Amino acid sequence: MSSPSPSKEHIATFHTHFGALSFHKKLKALGDRAVMMPVPRKLSASCGTCVKFFLPFDPAWADEDLDGVYLREGETYQLLFENEET
Amino acid sequence: MTKVREHLPVILAGLVVGIASVVLVALGNPVNMGFCIACFLRDIAGGVGLHQAPIVQYIRPEIIGLVLGALIMALAGKEFKVRGGSSPMTRFVLGFCVMVGALMFLGCPLRMVIRLGGGDGNAILGLIGFIIGIFVGTLFLKKGFSLKKSQPQPKIEGLLMPAVGVGLLTLVIAAPAFIFFSTEGPGSMRAPIAAALVVGLVVGAIAQRSRLCMAGGIRDAMMLRDFHLLMGFVAIFVAVLVGNLIVGAMGLKGGFTPGFAGQAVAHTDGLWNLLGMVLVGLGSVLLGGCPLRQLILSGSGNSDSSVAVLGMVVGAAFCHNFGLASSTDGPSFAGKVAVIIGLVLVCVIGVGNTKKA
Repeated sequence: MSSPSPSKEHIATFHTHFGALSFHKKLKALGDRAVMMPVPRKLSASCGTCVKFFLPFDPAWADEDLDGVYLREGETYQLLFENEET
Repeated sequence: MTKVREHLPVILAGLVVGIASVVLVALGNPVNMGFCIACFLRDIAGGVGLHQAPIVQYIRPEIIGLVLGALIMALAGKEFKVRGGSSPMTRFVLGFCVMVGALMFLGCPLRMVIRLGGGDGNAILGLIGFIIGIFVGTLFLKKGFSLKKSQPQPKIEGLLMPAVGVGLLTLVIAAPAFIFFSTEGPGSMRAPIAAALVVGLVVGAIAQRSRLCMAGGIRDAMMLRDFHLLMGFVAIFVAVLVGNLIVGAMGLKGGFTPGFAGQAVAHTDGLWNLLGMVLVGLGSVLLGGCPLRQLILSGSGNSDSSVAVLGMVVGAAFCHNFGLASSTDGPSFAGKVAVIIGLVLVCVIGVGNTKKA
């Protein structure tokens, strides 16, 4: 499903730094002002890289490196998409 | 205010680690070695007879505490997620190479900061090398380096490293005849088992909670202009420096002794101090974290990190069996060759695992 709040801040988390890098490039190519940043502690115990973006999330963007996508609402994060693992 | 609240846990973690390090020295650990992941893994390798260097053999309870502290905190926070299978052999070799670099410098990144806080000028060269290594590592990351994603694993996979820790703790307490205890040198200098274990548990728990990582701090500052983890790094230095000034004034073991020559468990060969830590920094970035972070992750269910830790243990055994480790007299020729081979090998691993994003 797409994000219901297109202008709001989204956070995408990844299993690898490479996944974040690829996703960031994809979003930049779509014209989003996406930025790479450390994963917020609330979302993960890992010290990996996430991508903050603002376009409505499209599940077609998901590849195997994507972990989840969250919508930020103030201090809380709402899970929008969780990538299934086989 | 929000910013302060965000950074407070990692700053407090750094302060606690720094204070813990000074306290462990006062309780018996070697000077400027209250905590050292590389040295203590090397001591454990000697304690179980993987190498026969008589001055560095002791099953260090601090390491066991770190793993178990991380386990307890991960379980309490519902963050014990067992994953693995991400290029295990590559991680083993990277862990091995990180240890070769660390035993050239005589310390992991954590001890590098502790040495700086004790006034050891040789650690400045180590820090420069560490930063260079991390910089090169970030170039690989930007070019698309990846060890591929890990996969969910059965719970038992994540519990094995903590179980090994419990087994080692049993051995060091029971002290059967077949394990080794140094009677002289750094391995003979040790805080009481209970104190070392408790300090390890506390540091392991807060390191899991705060995600404290020596390499991660500099990596994030370079790549993402984010200074959160770096604050923990700085906090360790401040706590060790202040702590050393205090214990020095009190006449306790430790203290602040500025200079290059005659530093505890250190040598003055600047070039090889630097190159050793280049290898540690580069290897740590490719592994996704410093030796401390690998230990913490290994207690949190990450079996990839457990494999990296095993690579470090085997690397330590090789370093002492084949004369690769430095001594206070300086690096050995074999050690210099090993560091160069390690740098080449880690770069080959970097190139071989890079693809276009």
